[in-house]
Amino acid sequence: MKIKKVASVFFAASLTLSGLAACSTGNDTKDSSTEDGVTTIEFWAAPNPTQQVYWEQVAEEFTKENPDIKVNVSPMKESPTSEASIQSAIAGGSAPTISENINRGFAAQLSESQALVPLDEIEGWDELLKARSMEETIKGWEFADSHQYVLPIYSNAMLFGWRLDILKEIGYNEAPKTYSEMLDVAKKLKEKYPDKYVWAKPDLADPTAWKRWFDFFMLYNAASDGNKFVEGSDFTGDKEAGLEVLSFVSELEKADALMTRQVTDPFETGLGIFTDIGPWTIDYWADKFPEMKWNETYTLALPPVPDGADTEGVSTFADTKGLVVYASATEEQQEAAMKFMTYVYSNPENDLKWLETTNLPPARDDLTTNETFTAFFENNPALQPYAEAVPNAVPPMDNSRYNDLQTFIGQHAFNPIVKGEKDPETAWKDMQEAIEGALK
Amino acid sequence: MSTKQGGLGWLFASPYLLYSIVFFLIPLFWSLFLSFTDWNLIAPTFSFVGIENYVDAVQSEGVQSAFFVTFKFMALFVPLVVAFSLIIAVLVNGLPKFKGLFLIGFFLPYLASGVVSSLIVKGLLSYNSPINEVLRNTFGLDIDWLGTPSGALFVVALIIAWKFSGYYALILTSGFGSIDKGIYEAAMIDGVNGWQRFWKITFPLLYPALFTVLILSIGVTFGIFTEVYQLTGGGPNFATNTWQMEIFTRAFSNLQAGYASAIAIIASIVTFVSIWIIRKLMEMWGKRNGWD
Repeated sequence: MKIKKVASVFFAASLTLSGLAACSTGNDTKDSSTEDGVTTIEFWAAPNPTQQVYWEQVAEEFTKENPDIKVNVSPMKESPTSEASIQSAIAGGSAPTISENINRGFAAQLSESQALVPLDEIEGWDELLKARSMEETIKGWEFADSHQYVLPIYSNAMLFGWRLDILKEIGYNEAPKTYSEMLDVAKKLKEKYPDKYVWAKPDLADPTAWKRWFDFFMLYNAASDGNKFVEGSDFTGDKEAGLEVLSFVSELEKADALMTRQVTDPFETGLGIFTDIGPWTIDYWADKFPEMKWNETYTLALPPVPDGADTEGVSTFADTKGLVVYASATEEQQEAAMKFMTYVYSNPENDLKWLETTNLPPARDDLTTNETFTAFFENNPALQPYAEAVPNAVPPMDNSRYNDLQTFIGQHAFNPIVKGEKDPETAWKDMQEAIEGALK
Repeated sequence: MSTKQGGLGWLFASPYLLYSIVFFLIPLFWSLFLSFTDWNLIAPTFSFVGIENYVDAVQSEGVQSAFFVTFKFMALFVPLVVAFSLIIAVLVNGLPKFKGLFLIGFFLPYLASGVVSSLIVKGLLSYNSPINEVLRNTFGLDIDWLGTPSGALFVVALIIAWKFSGYYALILTSGFGSIDKGIYEAAMIDGVNGWQRFWKITFPLLYPALFTVLILSIGVTFGIFTEVYQLTGGGPNFATNTWQMEIFTRAFSNLQAGYASAIAIIASIVTFVSIWIIRKLMEMWGKRNGWD
């Protein structure tokens, strides 16, 4: 009986202890950033195997040449998003030294909370920009407080894909460049194929903030020549350009050229003949849709512009992410992080390796002129337009409330226009009021 | 009970108590504290803002939609899941053999990942899916399943009902087991038909199990997240924006932990009050039908 009681007590106690142990993160809490003269930096790579492998390779090469710095590479968690994981890690005191995969809007949120180190205050920043030949590209990345918090790794100048085969069937040998040309395409398409649409994409009717990057901002940047939508706490949207965009989308809606139903692979199946395309899609198509051939089935073009606007050097949205250094890093770790970044980006071969691994164009000024990349683009002609458009690509707004603001663009303007529920003037007015209210 | 026995009782209860303290009590007080601040959990400083977060939350479109959407879900989901689980339980209960095997089969969706099932449903309901092609080409039906507020609400309610039906059928099956067979025999002698037997005997005597199922299913409607996050993102036009979606968006997309905590506290109060009222109503019905 006594043994039974002791065993029961032991069992209850072990359950209690194991419950407590389960709450542990498993991390050693002692500060081990610098030990025996070796500074350790934690690097969180984007949550995809390709990028993780790239960073593991360059970290290993770096450590070989810099034995006093150890770079631990691990993938950031997505529970349920990488942003949420980073927020939890910072709140829990387990933020890494450095991480990639940070967009400008999220960086604005983090910097406002003093969770990031201004990179321009770390010694070696200017040399790094010069060594990577990105002094022009980085200008668009300056934050409202005149600091730089993100080192952009890649810059996807988002382009629109057109189904060239279908365009040819309706009498167009190249992608339309202006609104009226595109509306003409819509008319001819519906005449020949009433069941097809110009733009078939469920996201057009979805107010989720980030979705505006790939429809509204591509068109708005093109129509306004990259005008800033929000500066600090002021709404600075170009009303004329904004109304042009909304009126154009409204015309497409009236022509029954938009389709917002949940649909699988609309562009690939030819249900829609126009959609935003990022460079990552080219590899995806090679694997899943080998019938999609550059300059045969599809072509890529800059966003259409209002009639009479210049059709050369058109601005578009830059889907771009980069590296940040977290404020929890010690000074030694910050210096080590800068040394690591300088090592990686001083050698264009590392950017080439990145390009070959991910297809994402490095955020450099000399992407089309540096000989290191010439052979790559000759072998991958479909990616050439992305490299050419890098200088015209506008990064996302740097406002910490970008999520709310972009939701308002969808909720009050873009989505109702797509559904034919509002006229452009009312839509713009409602959106502006909501944004200005949030910025107060 | 001696002090020694009391101590042992506490010790044996300690794993669950500890779990409750760590995962329920501390987070509750932490949320309460956060809800009166403008903290985002990562900034080094924060300010107390009094009840500002609560006032803002009550006035916000997102919270108002979450409030009404939850009751709309309840109105759709609860009858669906009770009907499905009752049908499963009745069918399985009538089987001569392998009841357990069939019950496990129906229980499996409960174990399936919400993310996976949502993605499958998204594919099945897409415009160019075989289902929609057949509906369009054969019956002339062109249904925008997830693009209309009522359609999206119905689809999400249906998926969650599918997921929980097997689980609730287990509870109802155990309820069937507790009904005295003698009552059925007496009813048969009196010439009661199958329909009368179900509605006049089985259904009222199933009250304790049905009570459990109803309370559990009502609780589920206040915690919907995965299916909505994957399928609709809360849209269209906030039509499927649940409490959890709103809390998630505020806390993790907008980094407004204080504000999100205020919403969480409001949500828990609404949940508690709603379940309390519904429970009281059901108890009243039970009492009127002889269940004291």
